Amino acid sequence: MVGSPILFVAVPLLAAFLIPLFGFIWKELVRIVPGIVLLYLLILSVSLYIQVLQDGTIVEQIGGWAPPWGINLVFSPFTGLLTTLMLFLAFIIWLYSYRFKNVDFEPSKKYFILLLMLVTGSIGIVLTGDIFNQFVFIEIMSISGYALTAFYTGRDSAEASFKYLIMGSLSSMFLLLAIILIYSQLGTLNMADIASKAHLMKPEFRVLALVFFIVGMGIEAEIFPLNGWAPDAYSQAPGPIGAAFSGIVVKAGIYSIIRVTFTLFDVEGTMQFLVLMGMITLVVAEMAAIKQDKIKRMLAYSSIGQMGLVLVAFGIGTEEGVFAALFLMVNHALVKPLLFLSASYLVFNSTEKSIRELNGLGKYLPLTSFLFALGAIAIVGMPPLSGFWAKWSMLTAAANSNMILIIGLVLLVSVVEIVYYFRVVNRIYFFKKEEDVEPKKPTINAMVSMIVLGILIVTIGFYPDLITSYLHEASESLLDKGKYIQDVLSAGQSIIQ
Amino acid sequence: MDQISFDISIVEYGFFASAILVILVGLYGALVKKSLIKIVIGLSILESGVNLLLITIGYIQGGTAPVFSPQLLKDMPLTLENIKALGNEMVDPVPQALVLTAIVIGFGVTAVALSLVIRLYRHHHTLVIDEIKNLKW
Amino acid sequence: MKKILVLLLLAVFGIYLADVLFSLEFGKQFFTDGVKDFYLTKGPLDLKVSNTITAIIVNFRGFDTLGEVTVLFLATTAMGGILYKKRHKVGARSVLFPSSQIVMAGSKILFPAIILLGIYVFVHGHLTPGGGFQGGTIIATGFLLMLLAYQDYTVSHKVLTIVESLAGITFVVIGLMGLIKGSTFLENFMPVGTLNNLFSGGLIPIIYIVVGFKVGAELTGLIYTALHEKD
Repeated sequence: MVGSPILFVAVPLLAAFLIPLFGFIWKELVRIVPGIVLLYLLILSVSLYIQVLQDGTIVEQIGGWAPPWGINLVFSPFTGLLTTLMLFLAFIIWLYSYRFKNVDFEPSKKYFILLLMLVTGSIGIVLTGDIFNQFVFIEIMSISGYALTAFYTGRDSAEASFKYLIMGSLSSMFLLLAIILIYSQLGTLNMADIASKAHLMKPEFRVLALVFFIVGMGIEAEIFPLNGWAPDAYSQAPGPIGAAFSGIVVKAGIYSIIRVTFTLFDVEGTMQFLVLMGMITLVVAEMAAIKQDKIKRMLAYSSIGQMGLVLVAFGIGTEEGVFAALFLMVNHALVKPLLFLSASYLVFNSTEKSIRELNGLGKYLPLTSFLFALGAIAIVGMPPLSGFWAKWSMLTAAANSNMILIIGLVLLVSVVEIVYYFRVVNRIYFFKKEEDVEPKKPTINAMVSMIVLGILIVTIGFYPDLITSYLHEASESLLDKGKYIQDVLSAGQSIIQ
Repeated sequence: MDQISFDISIVEYGFFASAILVILVGLYGALVKKSLIKIVIGLSILESGVNLLLITIGYIQGGTAPVFSPQLLKDMPLTLENIKALGNEMVDPVPQALVLTAIVIGFGVTAVALSLVIRLYRHHHTLVIDEIKNLKW
Repeated sequence: MKKILVLLLLAVFGIYLADVLFSLEFGKQFFTDGVKDFYLTKGPLDLKVSNTITAIIVNFRGFDTLGEVTVLFLATTAMGGILYKKRHKVGARSVLFPSSQIVMAGSKILFPAIILLGIYVFVHGHLTPGGGFQGGTIIATGFLLMLLAYQDYTVSHKVLTIVESLAGITFVVIGLMGLIKGSTFLENFMPVGTLNNLFSGGLIPIIYIVVGFKVGAELTGLIYTALHEKD
């Protein structure tokens, strides 16, 4: 036993409560402690994940009460994969923003507390096995998100954050309504228990609860009508937070939608609904992305589009489809933060943050520009980088399920992506530098974090077999609903008899 | 113990209907109003409506508060049967616990929302949402 | 135009929601084997806590409460971060008018009583309706009264930070001790005593007292930050 999944929540909470006290002792501790915590949790997560692949899912009870009654955390191959991925990204983002707001102590203290809580909330959403607990974690995550969006006092960030807050709290009320509907019918809040009893619910309750759930989670997962906050929040928030949103928060949102549609309810036509929503999101977002003239808004719309793609892949419903969706998620989680991190150094000193100001920076910031170009190649899915294999597996999955429309759409959208990403890369390398733009050299720690992401993308591109077996394990564990229910509830059944 | 009983169906549905009405009022306020403060108030009303609905779901006709006070136990021995008999007379405690959590979370969100409103007022010297739109809405 | 559209949308939503909910019979239990029966028997029998809601909040679903406390902590952090200004001046208050002699004298008398009531409510959280959140809120109202009555009343931010941090740390450490002494996080490893005694319920009253301190400090901090916000 190397440790228990509860530490993923308890240790960061302890650290977050301790950080204000550390601030009184030595100010540098405030920056160091989150990194130590994230590194420790990353190591723990990797070792637990290895253990889980051998011995099967770990179900952690809390308070000494077995699952239907107490809250439980589930560390399965699927949730473990996401946890490891999120912690890795969180560590990279911490490393990138280590020197962030070096001058002011108070804001940097709050920044690190909120960043830690953003990650904890996302991990809690993924690990928990209880819908109301998931609601609590969603609130932890989104309150940190609101505060981090409004972090820069000089910009329009308060407006972006207010918009995010209005949409976020409206949708969390829908989430609560869904929980009420489920509780009124089944009298339980445990996911596995709900899944095993879902057939007892009246059909209209089941449909309404599912719709409310998707509305409630869709805000974080950036499904089409609910993603109005994303471009503003991404462009107004500090650069590393944009990376954290696209790499961590969105993944948690997608996870909860997938958990609800795959495990909780079996409603006829859900998969078709996912495909439809995903396609609409994809098309609308990519069409919007091509029109943007600010780099971070463009990246935000591209991120929304990728999430649409992930939903479509999940909606295919077969094992191959889920595998492709997970591959796309991993690819996006590595590439989009790289794009955000490098782009925020490329536009560091500009006022408008527009694409025009990237002109000719390839000569002045060669490594950063190269990493941005690498990310652009990976995200559009050109060989030999990781994005190619993700899109390729998606196309095979669609072809094997005879979904010709999806193949056509994905290919079409890839062309659109190539157009708007290569427009930017073209400007970086082949245009003349604007007079008033002063490039800013990245600090060492930021450079290291970006290079690590770049190396991973290239490695996965050349050796996709390194991760495919893990992704297959994860997709099997997601699709095997009966095993999930049995894993969680078996401890409780022995008690009640 | 006084048994409260309702035999008119209007009263029975009234609880659900009023909770839904409060939810609708809150949604209307959050979606239509132009003042930032009124939008935040709308969100709070919406929260109250949802909490009201949650409490209503947990009500059981004639049920007492789920507290095993000495007055209720009346020197009964603490056996499983006695506790079960008393427990069956009580309303559902779970929604009440959930509502407490939901209220506290709602409070936290409202505090953050109001501080954002203060920030916006500091920048724009107005609370009307139409005059603040620097970003695309 | 927008108003009519929204009203129509809301009407459709409301009618559909009402239609679904009205199929339930008010005042009946709609399910057969829910978790509530387990809580209602285990609460008084195993945990010796007479207020079942407290048992649920602090023990059965104690993890939610940890999250809840974190949400409040985040709200104070977020508020401080959002309203942060360089060269922050503390001192001048937005509420400018002085209060009358009667209010000042009266609140001085009421203040200790309010604090005492708050402490009573969170100490007896496992016996009577009430608990850490309610008690903490009552304490914060006491501080609000003093802040409104006296223009120059100050609360040390440092003390508030220390109280809320220590309370949070205690909560998590109690949880981790459950992991060490028993086998799971937040496990009730202390002797539970007898039903309806003040010293009963094992860890439950301790956690609720910690929560009471934390909530009191956090709400006071929120009020203080908001009151001292000046343009």
